[in-house]
Amino acid sequence: MDLENTKAQMRKGILEYCILSVISRNSCYASDIIKELKEAKVIVVEGTLYPLLTRQKNAGLLSYRWEESQQGPPRKYYELTPEGKEYLADLDNSWDELVESVDLIRKR
Amino acid sequence: MKITVSINLGGYSFNIDEDAYGELKRYMKNLELNFATEESASEILSDIEARMSELFRAKLTPYKQVITLEDVRSVISVMGTPEDISDEEGTSAREKFASAGYHRMYRDPDRRIIGGVCAGMGAYWNIEPLIIWIIFLALILAGGLGIVVYLILYVVLPEAKTTAQKIEMKGEPVNIHNIKESVKKEFNTVTRKMKL
Repeated sequence: MDLENTKAQMRKGILEYCILSVISRNSCYASDIIKELKEAKVIVVEGTLYPLLTRQKNAGLLSYRWEESQQGPPRKYYELTPEGKEYLADLDNSWDELVESVDLIRKR
Repeated sequence: MKITVSINLGGYSFNIDEDAYGELKRYMKNLELNFATEESASEILSDIEARMSELFRAKLTPYKQVITLEDVRSVISVMGTPEDISDEEGTSAREKFASAGYHRMYRDPDRRIIGGVCAGMGAYWNIEPLIIWIIFLALILAGGLGIVVYLILYVVLPEAKTTAQKIEMKGEPVNIHNIKESVKKEFNTVTRKMKL
């Protein structure tokens, strides 16, 4: 067993879930998402976010639109597609179940 | 006094010290390599560029107009090296390339003498292309068979154009991870045979 690998696998799923959660509240651009993920300490390096966003977009969970910005070039604003919303609702349920299951076992 | 280079990053123009430029270029190349197998590699890279440009802009003031090596290092530590990114994602680029399917023969346009066939074969088997070239030359002088073989290979082998193809062409360089994997595989075959 490889502890680092196990941890990485755990983080991977959680990170994807957190990204969808952040975007579900309101549409936002990458730097907003990064700020929240960093505050919550689920992400260490920013470069991790971009491949995940692109993969989620390719999977049809996210879409984006370009929006003008006063401070610079146009930004990509991400939002959940109807499919993404369903996906997130599923993840919400399974997260609650997981926490319950793990709590049950740990507190025995 | 230092020489500066002018670059375009995410649609913004920056003046950057020469040494800082070298470091940034190396970093971008590594990222490109890391995402080479990704479906939308160019989109990921341009998103990253846009973010880096934002971070660099925050480092400039009316009294500091040039990006320094220190700035580049600080932005790289925020964005993360390809290794950091792979670790955090839970996938490793090395694992992606480690499977045998990623080792293919191509024509190598970078080291070609005529069509890159010999260079590609050299890259595939990790031998000096000149040796293969001499063998071909000997075959040609011995009766022309070399020309026919060369032409067939030229038509059959595709040219290694993208970074991903160039990695595939060379296969995976030997590293600890691969050695560990091949030992594990060997061990599994042996245990399977013992059971039979």
